[in-house]
Amino acid sequence: MAKGSLETVADRIDRLNAAIGRGAAWLALVIVVLQFALVVARYVFSLGSIWLSETVIYAHAALFLLAAAWTLQLGGHVRVDIFYADAKPRTKAWIDLIGALVLLFPVMLTLLWLSWPYAARSWAVLERSQEASGLPLVFVLKTLIPVFAVLMALQGMAQAARAVLVLRKRRRG
Amino acid sequence: MAETLAILMVVAVIAALMAGYPVALTLAGVSLAFAFIGDLTGVMSFAILGALPQRIFGVMTNGTLLAIPMFIFMGVMLERSRVAEDLLENMGRLFGKLRGGLAFSVVIVGTLLAAAKGVVGATTVTMGLIVLPAMLRHGYDKRLAAGTVAATATLAQIFPPATVLILLGDQLSNAYQSAQLSQGKFAPDALNVSDLFAGALLPAFSLVALYLVYVGAVAWLWPKAAPALRRDPKGPRGAKFARKLAESLVAPLVLILAVLGSILGGIATPTEAASIGAVGAILLAARKTAIAPLLRPVADKTAQITAMIFVILIGATFFSLVFRALGGDLMVERALTNLPGGTTGAILTVMLAMFLLGFVMDAFEIIFVVVPIVGAALLKMPGVDPVWLGILMAMNLQTSYMHPPLGPTLFFLRGVAPKAIKTSDIYWGVIPFVAIQIVALIVLWFVPALATWLPHALYR
Repeated sequence: MAKGSLETVADRIDRLNAAIGRGAAWLALVIVVLQFALVVARYVFSLGSIWLSETVIYAHAALFLLAAAWTLQLGGHVRVDIFYADAKPRTKAWIDLIGALVLLFPVMLTLLWLSWPYAARSWAVLERSQEASGLPLVFVLKTLIPVFAVLMALQGMAQAARAVLVLRKRRRG
Repeated sequence: MAETLAILMVVAVIAALMAGYPVALTLAGVSLAFAFIGDLTGVMSFAILGALPQRIFGVMTNGTLLAIPMFIFMGVMLERSRVAEDLLENMGRLFGKLRGGLAFSVVIVGTLLAAAKGVVGATTVTMGLIVLPAMLRHGYDKRLAAGTVAATATLAQIFPPATVLILLGDQLSNAYQSAQLSQGKFAPDALNVSDLFAGALLPAFSLVALYLVYVGAVAWLWPKAAPALRRDPKGPRGAKFARKLAESLVAPLVLILAVLGSILGGIATPTEAASIGAVGAILLAARKTAIAPLLRPVADKTAQITAMIFVILIGATFFSLVFRALGGDLMVERALTNLPGGTTGAILTVMLAMFLLGFVMDAFEIIFVVVPIVGAALLKMPGVDPVWLGILMAMNLQTSYMHPPLGPTLFFLRGVAPKAIKTSDIYWGVIPFVAIQIVALIVLWFVPALATWLPHALYR
């Protein structure tokens, strides 16, 4: 039915991105613990590990790229709220709808279009770290960029869907 | 034609931002639209955007920016573990018997918190919720109380290891490299985040000293505004109190000193020190409460703030790529070098622009957008020290953060302040502190050594 479909789609996207984002959030703790282990290893035992250093970098990249769409869902991306803060729900819905259609979608689709071949080239040679003892997973790291674009575009769909729901409800009531 | 488009793009970005859609996406979306227009009219090639994935990959693998999630983790952990509350309470008792004593302790504790948390919002909320009601209860003037809290919390913008300094350091060091390369210096000097941390220290402490002088002067000239506390008969006394005070004070102090000391002493990089700070914060919190239930909310909050910052950085990358392709950076450089007053005129213009942008944009956005455009042009000018320029920018942004009517700190504070405090009380209360900031900026302008002496002494 038309009533539930938009809401169902938005809910599913929200659940997906929340699961991915909350999973990625643990990487914050991983970064702290591994980086601290690196510091201890370096200063106490004079040991270094390129492999471990690169893991921290990977975790950091994954943290912000995978948590970004979830952050959008929670309203965590800063807005200039001089007008927005006091706007009526209907006005806010219009801003979100137009923003998603005119700003978010074109940006994320362009990024997907640009980063897809970028990641694909890396996959083609199974690109590895330039350091001999580094992680052989550069192609995975580069894949995070198109994944980020897709997750953000999906969240944009949810945002637009919810805006449409607000606009519809008001007109009826 | 291209340059007209560049100017139009800036105007369009600012106009679009006002609508209130997330800044990062607005920056990227408007820039993308202008890249299309530029491509259609033949003044630039859309293919330039092909550099985006590599740029984003550069951000992903940047070892300096890695410090940011860890410092945020440290701040959020301290926030949730209520280390701050104890500190405020005990310091208040220590200085309470003096006239203006409570305000003194607020400035001192606020400075410690600002240094430890590094995020203005978090510091303002903590202080607004705990300190402001206490100051009112003890008969402090509303304006003095609100102004003191707002100004002290905003110190988080400039006190190392402020996130703002890390981002400024990263952006300025790119600008510094390209400025030197374009002058034919092929073994360019580097600018590190540590240099900015060291450079910020004396100016930040000068601000604290000036705040204290102001609070002291008010207490002396106008005793009613800042009365001494009545003795609390139930509170701990003597040795017991001394121990409580030491306990609450020593732990965060050790943490801050360990983090800052290891960076400034050149022992650890900011990234390494950040992990020490974050682990230290976990240990401090674990002493006070069960740590396991805290990890989930702290990790969540850290992830959200980190994502917010880095998505702005990605959005700003769209902007600076297109702006450059349209010849905007050359136009800005030409405009800056042709200004009357030479270097002075150029820096003053940039400072004014950043200050005004601070009314509508966050410090992060201003740094990501403005520094790539003007940084290299300014640093090419004779006699402009990168550390000095960085600290000027940081202090400038910090001032605009608490400037009525749109300073973000004032909004944060309004959100948590007791009803008895009117918005106008906050505005009036903060004005003397804004004046202090402006005095400090002028002093820093004429005495660059205030910023440059310590980094030179430490690292050169």
